[in-house]
Amino acid sequence: MTDPAPASLDAAASGEAPPERAARPPIGELAFAAVCVALGVYAIIGAGFIRVPPGSASVLGPRVFPYAVGALLVAASAAVIVQVLRGRRGVPDDGEDVDPDAPTDWLTVGKLVACFLSQLVLIEFAGWPIAVTVLFAGAAWSLGAKRWWMALLVGLGLGLVTQLVFGAWLGLSLPAGALLDWIPIFHG
Amino acid sequence: MDSLTALLEGFATALQPQYLLYALFGVFIGTAVGVLPGIGPAMTVALLLPLTYSLDPTGALIVFAGIYYGGMYGGSTTSILLNTPGESASIVTALEGNRMAKAGRGAAALATAAIGSFVAGTAATLALTFLAPGIAKVAVQLGPADYFALIVVAFLTVGALLGSSVPRGLVSLGLGLLLGLVGTEVLSGQQRYTFGIPSLADGIDVVIIAVGLFALGETLYVASRLRHGPVRVIPVTRGWQSWMTRADWSRSWRPWLRGTAIGFPIGTIPAGGADVATFLSYATERRLAKGASKAEFGRGAIEGVAGPEAANNAAAAGVLVPLLTLGLPTTATAAIIISAFQSYGIRPGPMLFENQSGLVWALIASLYIGNVMLLVLNLPLVGMWVKVLRIPRPYLYAGILAFAGLGAYALHFNVFDTLTLLVVGLAGFLMRRYGYPVAPMVVGGILGPMAEEQLRKSMAISQGDLSYLVHSPFAIVAYGALAVIVATGLWLQRRKARIEAAPKLVATSAIAAIGDDRNARR
Repeated sequence: MTDPAPASLDAAASGEAPPERAARPPIGELAFAAVCVALGVYAIIGAGFIRVPPGSASVLGPRVFPYAVGALLVAASAAVIVQVLRGRRGVPDDGEDVDPDAPTDWLTVGKLVACFLSQLVLIEFAGWPIAVTVLFAGAAWSLGAKRWWMALLVGLGLGLVTQLVFGAWLGLSLPAGALLDWIPIFHG
Repeated sequence: MDSLTALLEGFATALQPQYLLYALFGVFIGTAVGVLPGIGPAMTVALLLPLTYSLDPTGALIVFAGIYYGGMYGGSTTSILLNTPGESASIVTALEGNRMAKAGRGAAALATAAIGSFVAGTAATLALTFLAPGIAKVAVQLGPADYFALIVVAFLTVGALLGSSVPRGLVSLGLGLLLGLVGTEVLSGQQRYTFGIPSLADGIDVVIIAVGLFALGETLYVASRLRHGPVRVIPVTRGWQSWMTRADWSRSWRPWLRGTAIGFPIGTIPAGGADVATFLSYATERRLAKGASKAEFGRGAIEGVAGPEAANNAAAAGVLVPLLTLGLPTTATAAIIISAFQSYGIRPGPMLFENQSGLVWALIASLYIGNVMLLVLNLPLVGMWVKVLRIPRPYLYAGILAFAGLGAYALHFNVFDTLTLLVVGLAGFLMRRYGYPVAPMVVGGILGPMAEEQLRKSMAISQGDLSYLVHSPFAIVAYGALAVIVATGLWLQRRKARIEAAPKLVATSAIAAIGDDRNARR
């Protein structure tokens, strides 16, 4: 808060001077609010398609609450859009590891999302330990870990340990994967 | 007297060796994860939910009590020793504590935080012990309309008071309510917003919402603006025996008690949880300070650590009052703890003290035990927490992602939950990026279905007469209180904004210079 940020490192990381945030129109912010309006509209339209069982005894059917939620979403996000257009921008969250002057690094976010998506395939085809190895190593590399082999080793270790603790010891049915399935200890 | 006997029985359970081990484990893990930067108590509890899938309910809730208190405590270590502000509940601790650390008094700051947390935690748990059964007795007589009123109060206070602006909080609440709607509706068995996907017919688990928003969303957000370069932890050199001088003690004990008195009541009402309490305590200490200590405020006054830390922990215990007696979570952390209860088929609420009295009292007893453990653990182990603080960030956040994935997959052993988690996580990232509070979304996701159930029950009773909602004195009082709480809350928020801005008026450059000077000399 009081210390000046390590300028040289930041510049190296972002590759450019911090942009003037106020100068750009808040497109992303408006877009997010617009998506929320759309979700609200969807909730209202979708509510109309909820089947109301004939002769149901309850006075308030299954549609009423969804209508109310949709209305709340539409009204609140419309209010946010008005606020943003009037110049009341949202204040991004603070955090210990957040650099308040850094621009949003969409590339890293994209890489992390891709790493996480790999879980969808890997958990069931390659097994939990491998899936964790890939997720951990990929994420650490995306976030700037210096030694990729270290990330890979730590990831493998984490995968095996969680498999043993949660799968074998606590009895969660995590798939060990074809590579490890023949080792009895991984069956629990 | 009744509750005293029950409490003793609770101690008898909680003091069994395996439950003591569970409590120790919870406190230890809670502190360790809470110390990790960027991880607040809500995220700590969310990430550790999978641990409970294979414990018995009593053991699991004891672990959670430990994690809850430990996570609250761990945050203050982070904000005192790291150069940057931390989670919201301990941000005022960062204000003074961080400056104390920079001035070489980090050990005193850590000690007053630890002992203050212990004093406040114990006093507030005592208050909880004697208040909760009475409240539960009253609450048994409440009808669905009264519950609906209470839930509306929780919705609006959490939605309107958390975050930078009221509409943003309400958007967040609305998104949570929408997620809560997905699934098969209980009363008429109709599917809503499921797109015909079988996995969605069971609804979206609250664990997914919480882990997605707090673990995944937070990680993506931090990754998008990661502070690169080495982690700078302020060193604490002196041995822990000589941490607090006589003067420190005499300056600390009054703020501890005042912080407790401020924190507990604010924790019990749904007014934004610990956040408001810490700021109020900080403002009080600043106003009450005289002479030399007044001049120290903004540059590392011990009162400014002792009071807010005590308030923080007292509020944490206060939050448990509506949680255990009414089943109402008023903070995101409480919402996740409720989902832990629900995963065992236990529904917190007025009946809890009758149906599950053994469990509840064991939980409360373990709060006392956990507090003692925290005090014993934390002072000597600071060297270890400092090491934890230095974990290289790429590995730290990669690890958080891995555990988030585990939490989602272990729910139903179905990768569809992993995908849902990712979608919720992306929403959480964008919400942080654009300044929406995420806590109302979690609360909405948990309380939404309850609200609908109570509303429809009361409408069924009254044959559709809306005035039934305000027929009982309790509901009228609740709606009246809502107006008062929101008004006071908004006023407090304005105050808080002023306090946040105020210390910057003191010559911060001078403090920074002192800090740099010391660092340079080392």
